[in-house]
Amino acid sequence: MFATAAAALLVIMCLALVRAFRGPKIYDRILAVNMFGTKTVLLIAVYGFMTGRPEFLDLGIFYALINFVGVIAALKFIERLDEYDEQEER
Amino acid sequence: MLLCEQQTPRGLNQLPRKKTEMELAVNITLLLMLCATVFAVVKLQSLFAIVMLFGIYSLLSAMIFVALDAVDVAFTEAAVGAGISTVLMLATLVTTGRWKKKPERSGLLPLFVVTITGAALVWGTLDMPEYGNPANPAHHHVADRYIAESPTEIGIPNMVTSVLASYRGFDTLGEVIVVFTALVGVLSLLQVRRPRTFARKQDNRPDTHRRRPYPVLQVVALIMMPFIIVFALYVQFHGDFGPGGGFQAGVIFAVAFILYTLTYGLDDSLALTPLPALKILAAGGVIIYGGTGVVSMLLGGNFLDYNVLAANPVSGQHIGIIVIELGVGITVASVLITVFYAFVTRAERNRAGEKQVDLPNKAD
Repeated sequence: MFATAAAALLVIMCLALVRAFRGPKIYDRILAVNMFGTKTVLLIAVYGFMTGRPEFLDLGIFYALINFVGVIAALKFIERLDEYDEQEER
Repeated sequence: MLLCEQQTPRGLNQLPRKKTEMELAVNITLLLMLCATVFAVVKLQSLFAIVMLFGIYSLLSAMIFVALDAVDVAFTEAAVGAGISTVLMLATLVTTGRWKKKPERSGLLPLFVVTITGAALVWGTLDMPEYGNPANPAHHHVADRYIAESPTEIGIPNMVTSVLASYRGFDTLGEVIVVFTALVGVLSLLQVRRPRTFARKQDNRPDTHRRRPYPVLQVVALIMMPFIIVFALYVQFHGDFGPGGGFQAGVIFAVAFILYTLTYGLDDSLALTPLPALKILAAGGVIIYGGTGVVSMLLGGNFLDYNVLAANPVSGQHIGIIVIELGVGITVASVLITVFYAFVTRAERNRAGEKQVDLPNKAD
């Protein structure tokens, strides 16, 4: 069961990774990174239970925290680009 | 080392647990994603996108560390790589702009040099012992003694902490001093000042985003902060038993205040944590660490020999490790907070359009 969950999470992470590579807008990338972080938390939890070490959850909590603060920082940054001109990024 | 191994430290004759196919598949997928991320970073032109991908890169490598059972390393990688460096690089982007410059010269020579160096390195690995063989000398230099003796000698379940804080106490002291030196370097280049005091340009743009309130974020940040700090304390003092310790706890502590700065602004957060206090704390942590060494010398032992700190050598080790981890945590937290403030000050000055004459120490 945990193995299936882990496989599903890895597939979702690949999808998020593709979105982060392709963009095209800044917001796509932020969302992709945020989602990737969430899936990392889940994968760590699943991996912990899969290998019989639930104390990996400590690490998961911390990743969730880092993810939260990182996204706020990224959004603050966008706000700083006064002249942000919806142009695509490559 | 992990919690469940508390009772039965992995002996020398016990081979490590076999990896299942699923774990192997997870590892391979993670490594492939890591490679893909690296190529995307090379290809992209937008620095912002690159910083975002760096965040993903750290998350991936941290997960690989988890898969390799190096939970303490994963903790540090997540804290420093995914957390602090992303935030610091974003703060830098505000100053530098967010587009990569077109390289002026062709990349052929660098590519050639890198290829040659890479080939030489690969060639060098051919002489190395078989990869992953448990009988390799690297696994038996000092590790055998640590694994055999540390449960009785130091007596704390997390062997990583015993090695880091006790056997390798000198190295860790060096690391803390490096962190402290980094702070000195940053402060000699950048200033920390309240944005309120900046001279504003006359033809100011409307001040909309200068003090734009973030009611939702502010409330959430205030609710989160106590929990983050409690979690930091847990990581700090639970480092003897599970993954964690002073470095990680220091970063988590700093994250609490970085969150505050992001939502409330530098003015408010400098009122909360005044710069002189941060400087004293940064130096104080180093002094606590070095002072422990001096105390153990005064009590008749060697420098950083915790055995003499209590009547019983094992409890002496426990006291020593807790005290020096505290010193590490204090220094790391205050250094990171101050460095972040310095970066934010710079960004705010650019925004205010103040001339950049960054020689803060010349005047006084």
